[in-house]
Amino acid sequence: MKKNHVFMAIALPALALFFIFHTYPALQGIFYSFTDWKGYGSWNFVGVKNYLNVFKDNRAGAAYIFTFQFAIVTTIVVNIISLLIAIGLNSKIKFRKTLRAIYFLPYILSILIIGFIFNFIFAHFLPQIGTVLGSELLSKNILGNPDLAWIGIVIVAVWQGVAFNTLLYLAGLVTISEDLYEAASIDGAGIWTKFWKITFPMIAPFFTINMVLSMKNYLMVFDQIVAMTGGGPGKSTESISLLIYRGGFEGGQFAYQSANAVVYFVVIVIISIIQLKILNRREAAN
Amino acid sequence: MTRKKTNWIITVLLILGSLFILFPIYLAITIAFKTPPEMAGNLLVLPKSWSFDNFKQAIEMTNFFNAFKNSFFITFFVVIFTVLTNSLVAYAIARNLHKKFYKTLYFYFLSAMFIPFPIIMLPLVKQTSAWGMDNLVGLIVLYVVFNLSFNVFIYIGYIRSIPVELEEAAIMDGASTWGVFWKVIFPLLAPMNATVAIITCLGAWNDFMLPLVLLSDQSMATLPLVQYIFQSQFSTDYNLAFASYLMALAPMILVYVFAQKWIISGVMRGSIK
Amino acid sequence: MFKKITTGFATMALGTFILTGCSSSDSSDGVKLELFSNKSESIDTYKELIKEFEAENPDIKIEFNSPPEAETVLKTRLTKNDLPDLMSIAGNATYGELARAEVLNDFTDSELVKTVQPSYIDMIHRLVGSEVEGIYGLPYATNANSVIYNKQKFAELGLEVPTTWDEFIALLEKVKATGETPIYFTLKDAWTGMISWNSLGANIAGEDFAEKKNAGETSFVKSYDEVADKMLKLISYGHKDNMGVAYGDGNNAFAKGEAVLYIQGNWAIPEILKANPDIELGVFPMPVNNDPDQNKLVSGVDVLLTMNKETKHKDEAMKFIEFMMKEEISQKYINEQKAFSAIANIYQEDPVFEGIKGNFESGTITSFPDHYYPAGMGAENLVQEFLIKQDKAVFLKKMDKEWEKVENR
Repeated sequence: MKKNHVFMAIALPALALFFIFHTYPALQGIFYSFTDWKGYGSWNFVGVKNYLNVFKDNRAGAAYIFTFQFAIVTTIVVNIISLLIAIGLNSKIKFRKTLRAIYFLPYILSILIIGFIFNFIFAHFLPQIGTVLGSELLSKNILGNPDLAWIGIVIVAVWQGVAFNTLLYLAGLVTISEDLYEAASIDGAGIWTKFWKITFPMIAPFFTINMVLSMKNYLMVFDQIVAMTGGGPGKSTESISLLIYRGGFEGGQFAYQSANAVVYFVVIVIISIIQLKILNRREAAN
Repeated sequence: MTRKKTNWIITVLLILGSLFILFPIYLAITIAFKTPPEMAGNLLVLPKSWSFDNFKQAIEMTNFFNAFKNSFFITFFVVIFTVLTNSLVAYAIARNLHKKFYKTLYFYFLSAMFIPFPIIMLPLVKQTSAWGMDNLVGLIVLYVVFNLSFNVFIYIGYIRSIPVELEEAAIMDGASTWGVFWKVIFPLLAPMNATVAIITCLGAWNDFMLPLVLLSDQSMATLPLVQYIFQSQFSTDYNLAFASYLMALAPMILVYVFAQKWIISGVMRGSIK
Repeated sequence: MFKKITTGFATMALGTFILTGCSSSDSSDGVKLELFSNKSESIDTYKELIKEFEAENPDIKIEFNSPPEAETVLKTRLTKNDLPDLMSIAGNATYGELARAEVLNDFTDSELVKTVQPSYIDMIHRLVGSEVEGIYGLPYATNANSVIYNKQKFAELGLEVPTTWDEFIALLEKVKATGETPIYFTLKDAWTGMISWNSLGANIAGEDFAEKKNAGETSFVKSYDEVADKMLKLISYGHKDNMGVAYGDGNNAFAKGEAVLYIQGNWAIPEILKANPDIELGVFPMPVNNDPDQNKLVSGVDVLLTMNKETKHKDEAMKFIEFMMKEEISQKYINEQKAFSAIANIYQEDPVFEGIKGNFESGTITSFPDHYYPAGMGAENLVQEFLIKQDKAVFLKKMDKEWEKVENR
């Protein structure tokens, strides 16, 4: 066989499979979003009615607000904490290998099961502590409070998310030569100046990747919520993924939730592009 | 020049921080060994006796070994097929990126990374069940195919750093394109293969959403899915539930304890790319 | 290192293959049926009954499946065109939808229908609506949406079972004054709020609310004002973390005597007794109005048995349903589950139910209002949210809007 034919013989099946299992379902989803299909039985075209309804739907609106609030806060908190830990792990410390292993541990664990464990902590352990301390706020399950439940989910997401991002930052930090810092020290630069003038510019590409990847992951939050609140109390922690799953199947709103999914997709693409643009420009400016 | 001394403040801070990571795991272990009456008191104390009754009961109740077998079966084959096929596809694309078709293909796979799973979830569930793929084999196929978009991205970066001269020498010796890949390129990809294998392994082992929506036969349930399915049956028997959680987490923790350095450097390699 | 691990994995995989090979071969003979249940409380009972059935029918194997969020799972299976062979589900909106989708077996010509009390056949008939004729499920067990009380505490505090709303509130005040917790709420699980909601709604807004609402004759704003007020009144007699405790933990807490009253259905009783076998319980219908004659007990079809129209093993599936409907089996089911039978001539004699026995005898019973709400409306989450925010006007409007929205899709 000719070389080019071999490459084609490899690429074409990959393309075909990917199209069949990824693109084709996506196209189907778009198609059904213009119908009134329940997921079974007969259907009719309804034009853009589903889309108009998504924009008028308070429940969907609330899910978008919750999901974004959660994703933005978690992304920021995860990145701050993991940057701090990475800097810590990169300095001259004892037990570096062990500590690094511990901080990376959450990455290998199932989010769902961690969620179940934290669910117990919030329902039984923290109230026990709160009662001992006499704190009114802590003595109740924060997952039962619609204003605080999302924080519980952020805590779990951060607990797990820090692991991977720390590693990424660490990968960036080890490439910075010690000499740079020493030169800066001779010039009389403080810790703060060193961070902004040396550390941060050097790890900026990692910062970009972390921000984009974290944001995208947290916009799809599902496992943590299923394990901890099931979307409650009320609908205060219902994420878009959960809404599509629940509404799409249980509510018999297959077509409607498909429209919701398409809107969601457009939103994610726009955000990713904006993020990349802004972060790249900042990087270039540095 | 001054050689820096150990920074004890940071060391202590990091140790304190690591307690926060270890605490839920400590709690899971102790509760898994306790009995329901012990739950009434201080949750932090160690169990009175280290009996494995909760584990025995959880194994029976959740049919643990069956779920373990399912998870293992899926993970094993997903890792094997992902490494073998995805590297091959990446190679084909990497060596032809100057051609329009392959360049388009590259961006096609890449752009799929931005499509959130819920968007294809509803139609995919219908499609796979209509084709009789709502089983373990179906899951394996889907994981391998979905993994393409990320893996092609990281493989290509690596393959492009391998000098073409190496291949040309092999071709001179009469090797086919096929032979070149398996004899020359694939071994050179070993570090990247390890990275992909680790990330794929963790992803397949811990995934919950795809098994949840795809599998309807309970005897096919994976470990995380089983924990979910038995939520209502654990009810308030937290000791039993935690024993079950712990067993579901244990295989990965064990692997991690022994291969920790290798896993961390593997994931790190993937991220530097 | 890499090589060692790879070989290790390969050996393990080989082992897995052998294991898989073995386990799949021993189940190949005989018929395998899947039984899907939406009730976590009945898991143990079902497992026992299945064992008994399999002993009688060695060539049939029943695979029992009772996942959380069972209705979402069942709908997913409907979408996948992969319904279980046998289903044990509640007589609610989901049943209505399955029946309208014409995927369930029609039992109209079955002898078994004759053993079921006709009023329950009517009840599930109304769920299906007029578009589709036929009986797509056999009502099996029924329930009672009640107030459970701790008899020992009642005696200690000198309390009597109330028959009017005012008496009920007076009782709650009295309990509160002693420093005990009057009602144990478990509102972290949204559905538990619907127990009070249904008792209040059925007795205040009437049984035919859903029909009228669909005809545009009434709305939540018009008919549920009093219901909402009374919900808020009740919640003021809870404990300090009403929204933070889940149903399972609540059963435990009530069993330990942490409250005097527990607004729950009969299905919670076995769970409470499991946690504390010594507790003495009683039940009464929630007295919603001040005229005792107008207070009805909310009762519905808790379990109906049905099967997939297209199951490959119709005869075997039917055999299982026949087995379940046998007198001694249904008696056993209701005894263990502390439920009531939909089958004629089978009675729940447990003394716990002294307080509602009269309702069953005289027929002062009404059905669950929320079983007639459109599926996917998520009423329980809206009620849960209302109990936190306590914003009546906004809430009632939202209920109307969500209903219409779902109906419009």
